[in-house]
Amino acid sequence: MTQGKLILSETGRMIFAAVIALAVALVIILLSSKTPLETFQTFLTGPLSSKRTVGTWIDDASKLALAGLAFSLVFQARQFALGVQGQVYIGGLLASTIALSPLGLSWISIPLGAIAAMLGGALLGFIPGYAKAKLNANEIVSSLMLNYIAYDFTAMMLRLYLASPKSGLTASDPFPPTAVYPAFIARTRMDLGLVLALVTVVVVWFLLYRTAWGLKLRLTGHNARFAAYSGIRSNFIMVSAMTVSGAIGGLLGALFVQGTGFAKLAAGFEAGLSFEGILIAIVARNRPLAIPFVALGYGYLRQGAALMGYRTDVPAEVIGIVQGIVILLVASSFTLPGRALLNRIMGGRSAAEAS
Amino acid sequence: MELILNTVFSAAFVAAIIRTTTPILFASLGGLLSDLVGSLNVALEGMMLISCLTAVLVSAYAPWYVGVAAGMVAGGALGAVMALFHLRFKADVILVGFAINIIAAGGTVTALNLATGDKGTSIGRVLSAAIPELDLSFLDPIPVVGPVVTQMFSGHSYLTWLGAFMVFAIWYFLYRMPGGLRFRAVGEYPPAAEAAGISPNKLRTYGLIASGMLAGLGGAQLAMFNFVGFTRDMTNGRGFIALGAVLLGRRHPVGTAIAAVLFGAFEALSIALPGILPQIPGEVIHMIPFVVTVVALMLSSKRKLTA
Repeated sequence: MTQGKLILSETGRMIFAAVIALAVALVIILLSSKTPLETFQTFLTGPLSSKRTVGTWIDDASKLALAGLAFSLVFQARQFALGVQGQVYIGGLLASTIALSPLGLSWISIPLGAIAAMLGGALLGFIPGYAKAKLNANEIVSSLMLNYIAYDFTAMMLRLYLASPKSGLTASDPFPPTAVYPAFIARTRMDLGLVLALVTVVVVWFLLYRTAWGLKLRLTGHNARFAAYSGIRSNFIMVSAMTVSGAIGGLLGALFVQGTGFAKLAAGFEAGLSFEGILIAIVARNRPLAIPFVALGYGYLRQGAALMGYRTDVPAEVIGIVQGIVILLVASSFTLPGRALLNRIMGGRSAAEAS
Repeated sequence: MELILNTVFSAAFVAAIIRTTTPILFASLGGLLSDLVGSLNVALEGMMLISCLTAVLVSAYAPWYVGVAAGMVAGGALGAVMALFHLRFKADVILVGFAINIIAAGGTVTALNLATGDKGTSIGRVLSAAIPELDLSFLDPIPVVGPVVTQMFSGHSYLTWLGAFMVFAIWYFLYRMPGGLRFRAVGEYPPAAEAAGISPNKLRTYGLIASGMLAGLGGAQLAMFNFVGFTRDMTNGRGFIALGAVLLGRRHPVGTAIAAVLFGAFEALSIALPGILPQIPGEVIHMIPFVVTVVALMLSSKRKLTA
């Protein structure tokens, strides 16, 4: 299949995913809202309703892109480490520690915070990888357990050391302005985080497709036994993929707390966004360059759902159902009803070729 | 320290362990069945959560046993959905499982809002029925051990006893019945099973449905006995801990049950600790079951995994 055809068919798949997502949302809204038309309109157009909501959409999309990148790296190595959430919390905690220290009074706290967060996240990504390579411990369970542990640990450090009494111990003092990402457009959340996310996209693409390490990683993911026979140390690849993925998760933590959205460490700041990276990675087929587009599209729906939750009688949690169904359908391989017919009309291309 | 030991070795603490173990036991037996036929069920968490809500909502209008049955059916239905997407549509089982978890987290809150008509995230005792306690106080007159036995084993949910029986029943099925042999054969080496005329996908479907029904029973126990009522995300990782119990229990029913009791014991400890040692931060106590799971997994795993 040529590059052009590939892009075309992948775009088709994404449009398919988007149509499914909208249809599911519409059905739920029709079933649950007293004013379904107004509700659906809020869901569809809400994110564009003001400069502020557009900014929040873009900011969400950069965070979703980072979460998606973190998942796609481990998925490409065919590992199911699901520890991004824990890495985000630890990354956020470390970045906050830097921002609230005397270093926070200088711009140096922005790069330092990101580095500290990445190191913390990398450590958290390394643990399940190492445990799997050396002890054969299942990475799914250990990474999920680490999520809960990291959440509790962050909550404890926040409550005991960083929280401000004014907030009822649920958040730290606001960071000094020097430790907060500069915003491009005033009073929106469009800030340095967007740049960091885009840079990470390019770095991950480069690592995966332009380095020997990336080739080995993809080979290991494709066929671990073949990779091992050809002399690739698949254990090293696996652990390093999880570690790099962890660093991205940690960076996402820094983006959360040092971004203009929070500019402080708050309890439960991540609010489940990390796991939505699974959807981003799946729909983008783990391809780094497709991830920003998927993140923008999904971020729009997510923001629409959040506004719907504020402004109408349908809860924002509806997005969870939409998300799950999209993952189910995109991860499945089946031919649409009607597709065979369409292909016959279009000149006998088989469905397998088209997909 | 003495205080802790006195608490841990008391009959009341044994009773607390039995109580906290029951939901995890059901879920881990469910995880065992699907893992044995070769599809790791990461959706136990979401299956339990949906069953919690189903059981609570149904029991508001029907007797408790109908609520429990509804929870079980909800779990089984989710198992069937997993089987459909995993086996028919060839989606990766981990992704399907996680999709179920995500749908469960968002769907339960949405459904709760629809059912109650407001944007709350919990419903309490008012609406839901509870599973009755099985009173064994007639054992009290037995000399010497009577009072202790009563304190440990009386007043538990009917489902606790069903759970204990299920450990035996599943062991009997797996190791003493031809169906169980086929089950294990499919998990061990599918081509051989297929050559012997067994359809792996059919057994995997049964495994996932049974897995969901057991997780559903665990959810019903959680929402109609351990806590009465539904709160968002009330399963709080129990489904994932159950998955850990399957791996720690070396994929054997008795081993899995022992692992479930171990995790139940640490959960019971985390409930009892704040009363004994108030100086330990609550977050540390809350972490205990998860730390124990990950450490136990690392220490025990020096072997080939199928996942």
